[in-house]
Parts: sequence; C-alpha cells; structure tokens
Amino acid sequence: MPITPPLLQLAFALASAPLIAQQAHTDWTGYYTLANRRDLAATGLQQDFPGEKLNDLIIPHLQPWAKARMEATDGIADDTGQVCLPDGIFRYPSMAGRFLWLEERGRIVLVFENVNTAGVRRIYLDGAHPKNPIPTWNGHSVGRWDGDTLVVDTIGFNDKSWLFGGMEPHTEEAHLTERMRRVGDGKLLEINITVEDRHALTSAYSYNRYYKLQPEGAEMAEDVCNEDPETWKQYRDAALKKQVDRARQVR
Amino acid sequence: MKAVLFLWTSLVMAQATHPDLQGVYQSIRDRATLPGGQKNSGSPAAVALLLDAAKQARAVDLKKDPWKQCQPVGPFRIMAHEQAKIEIVSTNSLIVMLFEDLSHGMFRSIYLKRGHPAKLEPTWLGDSVARWEGDTLVIDTIGLNDQTWLNEEGAQHSDALHLFERIRPVQGGDYLEYKMTADDPKALSKPYTYTRYFKKLDTEIMDDVCEDEH
Repeated sequence: MPITPPLLQLAFALASAPLIAQQAHTDWTGYYTLANRRDLAATGLQQDFPGEKLNDLIIPHLQPWAKARMEATDGIADDTGQVCLPDGIFRYPSMAGRFLWLEERGRIVLVFENVNTAGVRRIYLDGAHPKNPIPTWNGHSVGRWDGDTLVVDTIGFNDKSWLFGGMEPHTEEAHLTERMRRVGDGKLLEINITVEDRHALTSAYSYNRYYKLQPEGAEMAEDVCNEDPETWKQYRDAALKKQVDRARQVR
Repeated sequence: MKAVLFLWTSLVMAQATHPDLQGVYQSIRDRATLPGGQKNSGSPAAVALLLDAAKQARAVDLKKDPWKQCQPVGPFRIMAHEQAKIEIVSTNSLIVMLFEDLSHGMFRSIYLKRGHPAKLEPTWLGDSVARWEGDTLVIDTIGLNDQTWLNEEGAQHSDALHLFERIRPVQGGDYLEYKMTADDPKALSKPYTYTRYFKKLDTEIMDDVCEDEH
C-alpha cells in the first residue's frame, strides 16, 4: 500500500474540505405541507400544541401588559390578514402549512401558498443581520448549518403582527430561532421554533412543527386572498371605523 | 478515460445549453435606450379589441379595475407595468417568478417538465409551462379566468386568452429581453405583442403592500 506524504495528505484534505462541506447539505427544494396525523403515524412524532392549542403554550408567557393588549384586541377588526394585508410569519410556521422551499446561491426562498398574507421569506446563508434592520412583517433571516440542521435566526420584525391567532402581541424585539432538519427518511421537515421577546414575554417558548415533503410533481395551488373586493372593503371599513372610534375615546 | 471525459463534457455542455436567469430584475423606463439601441415598445393600452369587447370596455366602471382593488392583474398587465421589479428563482422542474408588487403580481409558477393539463380550472394567473429554445425561455400560458383586465382602460378578455412570452438574456446577461404576446380570439382582433427590457439588479425585492385607491 503506497504511503502518501503528510504534506500531500494535508493538501488533499484542504482541497476536499469545501467539497465535503457542500455535499453534507442536500437540496431541500420542494413543496411542503403541514404534516397530519396520518403522515406522522409511523414515525412516533407528533405536532406540539396543534391547531388552536398553541395559544395555551403562548399565553402563560405573556407579560401583563401584553395580556391586557391581547384581551383588548378585536380578533376580526384588528386582524390585518382579514383584509388581505400581511399578518407576519409567527402564525405561519404553525398554521399556514403550505410552502415552496427554493434554494439559490447563498439563500433559501420560502414562498407561502397564502402569499398575500404570509408573503415570501428569504433566508440568507452568507451574511449577518444588518446593524439596524428596517422593521418588516417577516423580519430579516440568516441561516447557518449546524451539522444536518439549518439554524435560522430572524430579527427585525415590526410590532404589527400577532404571535398566533389568540391575538398575542409582540414587540420589535421579537427574536425567532428555527432549527430545521429532515427526519422520517428525509420525507419530513422538522422545525423547532423558539420565540423570545424581552419586552412582551416573561420567558421564551418553544415547540415543534412537522411538514411533509410532497411527491415530485405535486404543485402548490394559486391562492388569491382578495377574490371578493366587496367583502374585503366591508372588513376594511369596519376596521377603520373601529380605529377612529378608539382614537376618539382616547382624545 | 475517454468515455469519462466525453461524459463529463456532455454534462457540462448540457448544463451550459441554456442560461441561468436567476436574479432580481427591473424593467427599464420607457424613455430609456440600451447601448445597443434596444428600448421598450408597445403597451397593453394599444391592444386592438373586437367590436363587442370595445363596447364592453367603454361601458365598464373603471373604479372596478382589479388594480385599484388590490387584486392580481394577471401576467399580461403586470409585466408591462412601469419599472416592474421581479425575482426569478429556478429549480430543475420549476421557475418561480416573484413580484415586489405582491398584491398585483402574486407569484408565478412556470413548469418546465410538463405540458398543460387536459382539464384546467381557470385561475387568476393561469397555467404556465415553458421550454428552452436555445438561450430563450418560451412560456405558454392558458387557463386564465376572466377576472383580470388587459389594461387600465377596461379592456376585458375571455377565458380563451393565450399568452406567449419569450425571455432571453442580452448585453452579456446584464439585461433580459422580454416579449409578451396576448391572443384572444373572443376579445382581440389580432394578437398583440409588447417588448420590455429588464435590468439585472444587485439588490433585493422588498415587501410592497397594496393600499386600495378609494
């Protein structure tokens, strides 16, 4: 067996390292939907706090002012999603459940079926957060690989969205950490979600969500929020009226 | 060894056959001219309508323009919009076109490995399939519902609207040449084509939220 000189071994190792690092992460491109019980049946996995039960996890973590704000919020008139405006991403990892995972140079793009309200997320793999990100509905996301797990860190949220359908508020200090990995023979995407907000929460909360990779050829449907402008206008007028009434009361 | 080399060369050539369109682009202003003399031409406002369609356009309430109601306006109109900003993301079987003006543009899924289904439920953006002709991506779209307008002057179309788009990089990849043709035997007296040039940008597209105009 030929003996390779140590320097040559080192050179080979250095040359191979970037290649191995690239190969370690398979392409996760595809169409994903929130996994149901049947999808998870054989795996022993289950969604934490499924559906509306997620409120039971979040509400005990709210600071008193945030709980008071939640109780004063109108679930319809104050819901931006009702008038087809964005309503932030906190409600989407757990509920929307349908998205395209697309990969391109240096970033991952997630396109949600409810694109009018959930919008598009871009996760940058080759950069850090800007020093003072402009607050947006979906924040600024950076990702890094930790073994087979993609760790996504998101800050720079505006304070207009809710943490979930229970109308739980958050501030611009909200910090979302998602640990994403493929499980179940690569057919499931596990997202461990942790939300921190030192101004709105007493402590962080975490939960898991599982998404199923749909078979090749499955297509995400078109979903237009504002198909009926008359209903949309009624909602919007009601929301505006409520805001005006509140402003009058304050005055 | 020769066989391996041949296989490798074939693979590289196969990959290099068509250009990578991935990136963010913005259409140039109508008055701008590229160094090669190319400039935007045509406009959705210039479509030639059949008599009945023209009458219908005159009668329509312009306040109900889908644009003014924050509804999708369809590929024909959004691609011609002044300084439209788009992002193209490609996979093996799908090209996704994202629009900064999300409410009016939504996002388009353009399928590369299938034809149109035999039965189509009409949708706002239709069913888009594409193939490469050399360096040109040729997109074919049918299955559009009749909710969108062809222009802001109330020109309606039918569900027989058929769109043909040709996209190719020009000026060393710094620009895309984009040609859009609309054909609708029930609404147009003849097919209509406009041309736009999109400049490749080194920026991101942002979330652009639509506010209704009244």
